[in-house]
Amino acid sequence: MEICLGEPEAPMPPRGTENELLEGYRAGDLDAFERLYEMHAPRMKSIAWNLLGNAGDAEDAVQEAFLKIYRGAKTFRAGAAFSTWTYRILVNTCYDALRRRKSRPVASSLDADLAAGRGTPAAPPGADHPLRLALEKAVARLHPRHRAVFLLFAVEGLTHGEIGRILGIPEGTSKTFLFEAKKKLQRWLKPQVSGERVAAS
Amino acid sequence: MSAACRRLDAALASSDADAIAPERPHAGSCARCRERLRAFDEISAAAPGLKKSWESPDHWAKIRESLAREAFASAAASDRTDPTAPTWPAWLPLAAIAMLFLVSFVGLQVFRPSLGDRQIFGVRTLTKDPLLTDVALMDVERSEADYIRSIENLSKLAQPKLRAADTPLLVSYREKLQLLDGAISELNGQIEQNHYNTHLRRQLLGVYAEKQQTLRDVMKGATS
Repeated sequence: MEICLGEPEAPMPPRGTENELLEGYRAGDLDAFERLYEMHAPRMKSIAWNLLGNAGDAEDAVQEAFLKIYRGAKTFRAGAAFSTWTYRILVNTCYDALRRRKSRPVASSLDADLAAGRGTPAAPPGADHPLRLALEKAVARLHPRHRAVFLLFAVEGLTHGEIGRILGIPEGTSKTFLFEAKKKLQRWLKPQVSGERVAAS
Repeated sequence: MSAACRRLDAALASSDADAIAPERPHAGSCARCRERLRAFDEISAAAPGLKKSWESPDHWAKIRESLAREAFASAAASDRTDPTAPTWPAWLPLAAIAMLFLVSFVGLQVFRPSLGDRQIFGVRTLTKDPLLTDVALMDVERSEADYIRSIENLSKLAQPKLRAADTPLLVSYREKLQLLDGAISELNGQIEQNHYNTHLRRQLLGVYAEKQQTLRDVMKGATS
């Protein structure tokens, strides 16, 4: 098996396009801002879902993040990566939501989505992998920082450099967090991995 | 643990495919490393499956609405917190009511059939900020609702006179108002099915204008 963590599947959008749209938005073109939403929202929703555990909270977090982006976009320094800044805002918004959540009981992700009339998210490529459910549960047990690094690297395909800028940590720390996360996941998933091997044989 | 085992551990820790590839042959001859590599590969294969994707067609609309609300609130807040602004005079509530009537009138003019779409789009381009345009449009819709409510109030005031209609003129006014009410309810039914049909909305406001005039005539007859 040659698949390796960190292989970018959906690279970040070209910076030129982003900056053009940003300029358009600054000139009062809300359609340009909507285009920026269309470019980033799918990935942002996915990240937020994996950090928060259900579609409703994920959509709320993305909405809140876009409000913050809208407020800050006019003063955003041109030349920096807009997508990195965007994901940084999103991740911090998710952390805030997790902190708020500690003070109130939370329904399970499935309950919350069903209550809101939403189905479960569509199956992505690789979603039928037998280890996926176990991995999802194990990832949810990780420390939020480790979880964020794992998701951004292994699931979303970002590089350690990008992750470092998003989370405000050095690139080396991102690598260390990923290593810690994978070690824990391997330990927690050992029975499942062995089980798969037995089943396959 | 051999040097090859340590090299494989280091490669796995880096998650770098180029670093792992040369160490793979060693895993063939070492049970411990084979196990570690297998766990790594399994997680690598399953990880993309965690990516979520779902449709949320009204998500952008919600964001846009929040942005419009925020733009409106911040504009109002900046007015309130301006230290150089004068204190509110006592006549302000009256001026606000007068303004409401004025906005209602403007709303009526905008949606009158004779003016056509040209003027509606003219209003849309009054502001550069599309969010503020949205806010202005929401204001017009709100004014439209206030206007309709004021006609209904007028209608309630005229009811005793109409119920006790004792002249042929009042009877014909009553019948005309019944016809107008029928038309209003029919148009409301059609608008329910298509909220964005401005032609129907204009027609509705036209009927309401006719009703308002008729009620005025009734009330004038009542006081004269």
